[in-house]
Amino acid sequence: MTSAPPASPPTARTARPVVLAVGLVALFAACVASVAVGSRAVPLGELWRALADFDPLSGDHLVVRDIRLPRTLLGVAVGAALAVGGALIQTLSRNPLAEPGILGVTHGAGFALTVGAALGLAGSTVSQLGLGVVGSVLATALVYAVGRHSTLRLLLAGVAFSAVLMGVSLGIRLMSPDTLDKYRFWSVGSLAGREQTDLTVPLVAIGVALVGALVIARSLNAVALGDTVAHTLGANVARVRTLTLVLITVLAGAATAVAGPILFVGLIVPHLLRRLTVGSVPWLVGLSAVVGPVLMLVADTIARVLLDTGEVPVAIVTAFLGGPMLIWVVRRYGAGSL
Amino acid sequence: MSLLRSRLAKGVVTTAALALTVGISGCGAAGGEQTEGPTRQFEADNGTVEIPQDPKRVVATGYAVPTLIEANAPLVGISSWERGEPLMSDEDLKTYKDLPRVAGETAAETNYDAIAEQDPDLIVIGVPKPIFGEIDAERLESIAPVVAVGPEVPSAWREVSQKQADAAGALEKFDEVKNAYESKADELKQKYADVLPDLELAHVGGYGEAENGNFQREFDGSWGTNIANDIGAKYYGEVEEKGKGSRAVSEYPSLEELPSAMREADAITYTVDADGSAPQPVKYAMDSNLWKNLPAVKKDMTFPIKYTEAATYGQAQQTLEALDETFAPLLKK
Repeated sequence: MTSAPPASPPTARTARPVVLAVGLVALFAACVASVAVGSRAVPLGELWRALADFDPLSGDHLVVRDIRLPRTLLGVAVGAALAVGGALIQTLSRNPLAEPGILGVTHGAGFALTVGAALGLAGSTVSQLGLGVVGSVLATALVYAVGRHSTLRLLLAGVAFSAVLMGVSLGIRLMSPDTLDKYRFWSVGSLAGREQTDLTVPLVAIGVALVGALVIARSLNAVALGDTVAHTLGANVARVRTLTLVLITVLAGAATAVAGPILFVGLIVPHLLRRLTVGSVPWLVGLSAVVGPVLMLVADTIARVLLDTGEVPVAIVTAFLGGPMLIWVVRRYGAGSL
Repeated sequence: MSLLRSRLAKGVVTTAALALTVGISGCGAAGGEQTEGPTRQFEADNGTVEIPQDPKRVVATGYAVPTLIEANAPLVGISSWERGEPLMSDEDLKTYKDLPRVAGETAAETNYDAIAEQDPDLIVIGVPKPIFGEIDAERLESIAPVVAVGPEVPSAWREVSQKQADAAGALEKFDEVKNAYESKADELKQKYADVLPDLELAHVGGYGEAENGNFQREFDGSWGTNIANDIGAKYYGEVEEKGKGSRAVSEYPSLEELPSAMREADAITYTVDADGSAPQPVKYAMDSNLWKNLPAVKKDMTFPIKYTEAATYGQAQQTLEALDETFAPLLKK
């Protein structure tokens, strides 16, 4: 556990709006790159026409509108969900190693998908999505039921339950090659091939949860100082903690269900912003909602062009980008910044 | 004179080889087990193996399972082969279900003790070469002679199945079924001679990875196309960067490339399951607006093909019937 966050230095406070503006510009650029780059070369002029003057008979326009645009929106949503989920769990647990999956979300989704595949229920993308959501929610509810009395117990319950789910899932997959085959694509995490699935429900859920995270962030400021101090400041710790856990479950559960496990975004983005946002959870949450999608879209765009032979799953690219970034943060600011 | 010398030399070598074979006969197999009766040398993927001339107790795995069931080989144990079940005749399916299982669907699920329990005099491993490396060949060879004969490309099932049947001493029934297939293929080739060879065809296969946003395009000699090739269908183009095995005849482009991949096609065939439904990877391509915009789709020139997994002459006859059914409307156009 880290100590309570100190008050933010004046330089950090003045830099935040600048970083937010730069982040928004970077997000716009990442969105443009995500729509522009792919295995089919689409002229820049056609990109604009595909959006402003759509011709349903044009292959270029269909690629932009039917494949790249939905994928870009998905990347923004998943990136924001994971980064904000990571910011919330790290703040709530005051643990720099926490990421949304620590509550059993990822392994719960993986377990549900494995069982569903073994029972022949994971044949379509929609069914896989449903299984992911159900698994995430059930796993987190169980972890919460066991560890609701303290944050430490909650994390330990999450780690233990995740290990159990992982072991049982692995056993099932080893016994059934078909199940392993279904699972292996989901398990690497990707934004590809989702454009034909109706993602309205998970995307709306993510949108609502992001707003909820911004609303609750102010209350989390007090909780981040520790339960005793939070009580003294008049915060309802139990209620804030429960609501935050619900938000983390929705954010991480929906993101994991639609894109598979992409762990690094939830871990690395809050670290990148921590020094800048020290003392202000609302800023941490707000900036995470901008920087998370930037990292996700950059990784996804690189994933499309990295190899001649085809796409690399985005989770692999986020890990490659996120790993050096994390090391850089630690070397630049020291472990204390974590 | 030199021709004579050459023939003489060949005769000497042949006589020596025969003498060696006879000498070795009954003296033991390549493995640790003694093989009773006369033996012969057999060229397999795992080298030259000494096998019984007339095996009595054969264990088969992988692609050898449907082949040797169909050829009435003296099987005493088989691996699981679920993918071939929908293609088996009632009689073959009963045989398949009644035979003891000695391995699962993958090479890693080989049960060496179960194989030894069947006391085979020949083990026929029908898996591609790279997969054979996953099997403990030494352990199998200590049970009985092992011949590995697996396909390198999808269309190789013809030669592979013949070799497997030969090893198991079951060529008689095999040839009967093969001839029936070839007659049927010739008949259909004649039937569609005026329409099929003129078409530039493209095929969407069932092994695409929708989860990765791609589809499978198959060219001549692939799973979905090789039997259609036998009745005169031609699939234009070739793999952009040829790989090994099936990657030499099929590729997995992004869905974005569907228009450029199939725009030139006069007609498009696609793999469907035995019940006629499109598997998820095919459905992924067909549900996109890019598919609906293809010239062949607009002209209603798309044809589903069942039983593209056929890997024996018996199964391939069902594929021929499916092709006849799907291409029939072409004769009316």
